[in-house]
Amino acid sequence: MASVSIRNVRKSYGTVEIIKGVSIDIQDGEFVILVGPSGCGKSTLLRMIAGLEEISGGVVAIDDRVVNDVPPKDRDIAMVFQNYALYPHMTIADNMSFALRLKNTAKSEIAAKVERAAGILGLGPLLGRFPRQLSGGQRQRVAMGRAIVRDPKVFLFDEPLSNLDAKLRVQMRTEIKEMHQRLKTTTVYVTHDQIEAMTMADKIVVMHDGIIEQIGAPLDLYDHPANMFVAGFIGSPAMNFIPGILGGDGFTTEAGDRLPLGGRVPAASDGRPAVYGVRPEHFRLADEGLAAEVVVVEPTGSETQMVLRPLGTNANRAGAGREDRQRELTWVLRERTGARPGEVVRIAPNPALAHLFNPDTGLRL
Amino acid sequence: MSILTSSDRVAGAASVGRTKRLRPSYWPFIVPALIVVVGVIVFPWVFTLWMSAMEWRIGEEQRFVGLQNYIRLATDLRFLEAMGHTLVYTALSVAAPLVLGTAAALAFNTKLPARGLLRGIFVMPMMATPVAIALVWTMMFHPQLGVLNYLLSQVGIGPLQWVYHPSTVILSLVLVETWQWTPLVMLIVLGGLASLPTEPYESAQIDGANAWQRFRYLTLPMIGPFLMVAVIIRSIDALKSFDILYTITQGGPGTASETINLYLYSVAFTYYDIGYGSAIAVVFFVLIILLSLILLHLRQRSAWNSGDGK
Repeated sequence: MASVSIRNVRKSYGTVEIIKGVSIDIQDGEFVILVGPSGCGKSTLLRMIAGLEEISGGVVAIDDRVVNDVPPKDRDIAMVFQNYALYPHMTIADNMSFALRLKNTAKSEIAAKVERAAGILGLGPLLGRFPRQLSGGQRQRVAMGRAIVRDPKVFLFDEPLSNLDAKLRVQMRTEIKEMHQRLKTTTVYVTHDQIEAMTMADKIVVMHDGIIEQIGAPLDLYDHPANMFVAGFIGSPAMNFIPGILGGDGFTTEAGDRLPLGGRVPAASDGRPAVYGVRPEHFRLADEGLAAEVVVVEPTGSETQMVLRPLGTNANRAGAGREDRQRELTWVLRERTGARPGEVVRIAPNPALAHLFNPDTGLRL
Repeated sequence: MSILTSSDRVAGAASVGRTKRLRPSYWPFIVPALIVVVGVIVFPWVFTLWMSAMEWRIGEEQRFVGLQNYIRLATDLRFLEAMGHTLVYTALSVAAPLVLGTAAALAFNTKLPARGLLRGIFVMPMMATPVAIALVWTMMFHPQLGVLNYLLSQVGIGPLQWVYHPSTVILSLVLVETWQWTPLVMLIVLGGLASLPTEPYESAQIDGANAWQRFRYLTLPMIGPFLMVAVIIRSIDALKSFDILYTITQGGPGTASETINLYLYSVAFTYYDIGYGSAIAVVFFVLIILLSLILLHLRQRSAWNSGDGK
């Protein structure tokens, strides 16, 4: 086990800078998830930790040893790839033992390690098969087995669940988390799926356009997003953003509705434009609230998700464009509802759980 | 299924009806191919088989001798020697292009500058006419006037007899065959390399495999099926090889480079012993079929990318 320290790391291809100086401290035994939309540089960063990509600037250290110029095999890491990257012509047992065989490990030791890993992952009966004879979930488990057998200081996962179907993904998520709790190996995990990040991580690193937007525990990010990007990225369905103006002790939307702030008015903010952020589950029915037309009702059984179009905004007019559609609100309620599309409801946010952002910088006010 | 729905039955009846109605109209499409296949493949083989059971010299009476020609083959030292030459020649003309072609494919698979141009130049020998190649090489092999001995003399190696000495003639002919057919192997293997997945190489890098180990444990087994295709094509080609051998040495000096093909040619068309020549052709055919079967079986075993691999 080991700590990983990433100090002001940069990566550029020619003149294009993909990673613009990121710093992360990963403690011994921690499960850290790098999350962000496609192209944000999270996989590149992981590959730089692995040694598969050159580091253009900054320092990567594993256990206080700078590994910038250390080849992948000497970094004592194991990596699980999105498309498994199994050796197609080798049996599962050979796949798992390949690294050990290269190191001329004693046969008895190899057998013991493979057996242990197979036991952890339930791969025992599959050891004699070839990768092509396995399902996607089994292949991913083999890829994990191959990592476990190495007994590395750090596990690196590059979107390992992206190729699996939804049900299997949930199952494998639990298995990976369980594996981490059992082995307590430092883990860096890349995903674009914020639910994976929320459910598995000790610490989430939200990346966007080659920079780190915020680092924190999952619920910290959820409750106190540093900016609009994190607020919108973490949480599903995404947070609602309502533009308007601060004034008096409240917030006035573009349509003229007053939203409560629960006494948390930032100083010297009268007349200042702001964005009011509220999570879909933090609305409730209220006579004095925002009037909005029900557009879509999506019952999932455990909860109901509703898309609403606030009255008095452009979103509600015929011929509303994409930008106007962004003014639509999502409301998630635990109770079942008889509301139908076309009906008008009045909802109010819970002021204690609302967020305010600067519309220009996106930063939290 | 024992119970058919009415729609199944209707569909079945319709398809039977259609087959019946359409069957005669297929014939015009099949007949030309059938005539060609029977005329140039089936008939010659049946006829060769029949001839091999005859004592038949051009201009003499034909006589049925049963297996006599085959018994004669078993004791014909010149035939046995030709068989040995054929096997040695084939083995070398498969192995050398295979090794060199694979090496060339690995080189061309990297980001070489002017790769397309070099590859184009490299495959040129394959496109040339064998007889023309043979004539050029005959000149190059000439002990006094040939360029090969001149080149050797430049690095201080004494003149070789090349195709004019029994001990070097087969190796020299293999050199020509290798020069011409290495590009084919290169193209096949290059195709194989291009189809390999890249991810296993990254995990092998992390697993600690160096460049040689990645080649030995990943590339080589993964291009195995492609190598086997090259081996099959090259083996059959080398076994049948005639034009280059005939043009350069005609089996000489003496019979030092006489392969089954050349011996068959001289028996049938120099001595006009058609019956005996046919027996040689039949044995040769069986040899090719056996070799192909063995190679196809090996190819099946080397395949990691298809079947269930159990």
